[in-house]
Amino acid sequence: MNDKITQEEFLQRIAVNKGIIIKICNAYCADKHYREDLAQEIIYQLWRSAGKFRDEYKFSTWMYRIALNVAISFYRKEKNKQALVSYTDLPEDLEDKPDNATEMEIAILRLETLIQELNALDKALMILYLESKSYAEIADILGITETNVATKISRIKTRLKQQFANNN
Amino acid sequence: MEETDVKNIWQAYERKIEESRILNLQSWALNFRAFESIQQHKAGLTLNALAGFKVRALVLGFVWTLFLGILLYGARLKNLYFSFSIGALFLFNIATLVIYIRQVVLIKWINYSDPITDTQKKLSLLASSTVGLRFLWLQMPFYCTWFWHSSWINYSSLSFWLITFPITLFFTFLGIFLYRNVVPENMHKKWVQALLMSGPEYKSVIKAKEFLAEIDNFQKELS
Repeated sequence: MNDKITQEEFLQRIAVNKGIIIKICNAYCADKHYREDLAQEIIYQLWRSAGKFRDEYKFSTWMYRIALNVAISFYRKEKNKQALVSYTDLPEDLEDKPDNATEMEIAILRLETLIQELNALDKALMILYLESKSYAEIADILGITETNVATKISRIKTRLKQQFANNN
Repeated sequence: MEETDVKNIWQAYERKIEESRILNLQSWALNFRAFESIQQHKAGLTLNALAGFKVRALVLGFVWTLFLGILLYGARLKNLYFSFSIGALFLFNIATLVIYIRQVVLIKWINYSDPITDTQKKLSLLASSTVGLRFLWLQMPFYCTWFWHSSWINYSSLSFWLITFPITLFFTFLGIFLYRNVVPENMHKKWVQALLMSGPEYKSVIKAKEFLAEIDNFQKELS
């Protein structure tokens, strides 16, 4: 049992931020059967590190660092070359989309596919950008300079525009 | 497509996730102790286990090096071949101990709550540091020279020139050949794979080196 934070408090914090874990698992693990494993590994590392958490840190920054570090290590260990299986019950491939798929569902799938195609570090940057994190926080989580974050994000924006323009 | 449109898609995605009720945290809360012990077991197979293995290897290595040191001290240059061979093996072992200590320190420094590029660099350095041990192939000939005696050379002993010397020469060339060729870049060669029982470890070395380059590239300021 952890000294600094009780199990109940910990699970409460995880519950509030579980979206972060799910989105990271989805981005780094193509096979849905392994996603539960990755999610558990992330939660376990968060629990192990909970004692070291200091209130001066922003909880989400700390959580992103751990979740992304575990996910990148997992991603590099596992050879996840399987096709994308969406978490959201959407079809696995744009070609297989049902006739009644809404425009938004297709857009979500496009975005998921784009993220899946990125390398481990660019995935992290893309997730943080989509989560509307400030440049300073992204730089802090990734360990790069704010200027570098700004340049990379401008490239991501161009890529997103191209992706959606090509498919329209 | 505007920035806000993409962010809207991301938010819609978040709502979809919320609806699909993935990650049943309530059931985990009920079985938290079981969950914790399963994860502890899994984690035991990774970094902690690796640190434990390295520490055990360090202890054994230290005992072996100490033994060599005692032999070296006891010999006191009475037999040059013996002293030189044991001295060389002693130095090889010291260098190995230094690499192992460095690896253990690196494992202890790895903290998942540090910035992504820092942690991933440490993990990749750890994986690629195995290749640093390939210099150990070069110690092979010294296991063939410690029992040499100057009288064998001075009196042109036939068995020495026909058996001992060629065997030593063979292991010298073999050691140099293996040192130069058993490298991650040659992992595609069948004989290298067959030689290394730990083939997957070498594959992870190659991947680690590639990822280190990727991290450096990611950290570079773009213009």
